[in-house]
Amino acid sequence: MTHQTHAYHMVNPSPWPLTGAFSALLLTSGLVMWFHYNSITLLTLGLLTNILTMYQWWRDVIREGTYQGHHTPIVQKGLRYGMILFIVSEVFFFAGFFWAFYHSSLVPTHDLGGCWPPTGISPLNPLEVPLLNTSVLLASGVSITWAHHSLMEGKRNHMNQALLITIMLGLYFTILQASEYFETSFSISDGIYGSTFFMATGFHGLHVIIGSTFLIVCLLRQLKFHFTSKHHFGFEAAAWYWHFVDVVWLFLYVSIYWWGS
Amino acid sequence: MLGVQAQKPPPGQWTTPPFDPRFPNQNQTRNCYQNFLDYHRCVKTMNRRGKSTQPCEYYFRVFHSLCPISWVQRWNEQIKQGTFPGKI
Repeated sequence: MTHQTHAYHMVNPSPWPLTGAFSALLLTSGLVMWFHYNSITLLTLGLLTNILTMYQWWRDVIREGTYQGHHTPIVQKGLRYGMILFIVSEVFFFAGFFWAFYHSSLVPTHDLGGCWPPTGISPLNPLEVPLLNTSVLLASGVSITWAHHSLMEGKRNHMNQALLITIMLGLYFTILQASEYFETSFSISDGIYGSTFFMATGFHGLHVIIGSTFLIVCLLRQLKFHFTSKHHFGFEAAAWYWHFVDVVWLFLYVSIYWWGS
Repeated sequence: MLGVQAQKPPPGQWTTPPFDPRFPNQNQTRNCYQNFLDYHRCVKTMNRRGKSTQPCEYYFRVFHSLCPISWVQRWNEQIKQGTFPGKI
């Protein structure tokens, strides 16, 4: 076998892009079938194959990076660019929902009574659970920084504890949001207020769940000694993502919960 | 509210509503809506004070001129049923 004389990662053929594409098609078709015919067969199949693809693909990435040493500094640079571009795309994803919210709320149409919140809508009190949620996420931003610095300084116990605390705060946030959803007197289908509210906060909640999963994977890998004090981009990417989710919440809180009420 | 007969303008006197600087755009939806609200607020206030609702006729004419009839019918129905979203 010839030896490669550069530091780039020459990837091997993999089935996961193909299964990922098929699962994405199943997922979108499944959503259509669910929305229009109330049938969840295709959607379940799509979710299952999508989760299987993600699991196996990222398992392979961990094998290539951690065990086979393919993630050289130049490859890590590429991963960084990739993660940054992904987060930028997420920013625009949420910008769309904020656009919808401000479009509807800055000049409320007369059908709403010309006011925001619309006549008859009683919004959540922003100084109750939403404020607690804000402090929970801010605290998790502090604890993940603690985890990162502990990791860089080789303080393993501190890293484990701080990461666990971050995950716990993330789960606490999700539980609080779920309980808030049971409290609301409006729904996603009864008007523009509910539509913009649940679209924005719902997708944020989904991202918190994804971010928590990312952090849980990092904790499991940390417990298996996958990270070194100098080479731990998986954790850094999770931290960037977590901060992004945190910042989106701050905008949601100020715009929708506080100003919007 | 004014009686149906009193609400009708004298024949031959349908004038176009004058320019209202609060609503400078081509889209006059909010002008229509604001005058509909102002008419009902005016009638409510005049009735509370026991005064004639005649001065409210101006608003009535403006919104009658600007608003699609179907909107006015829907709003009147909503007022009757207590589901009109505007503050009167």
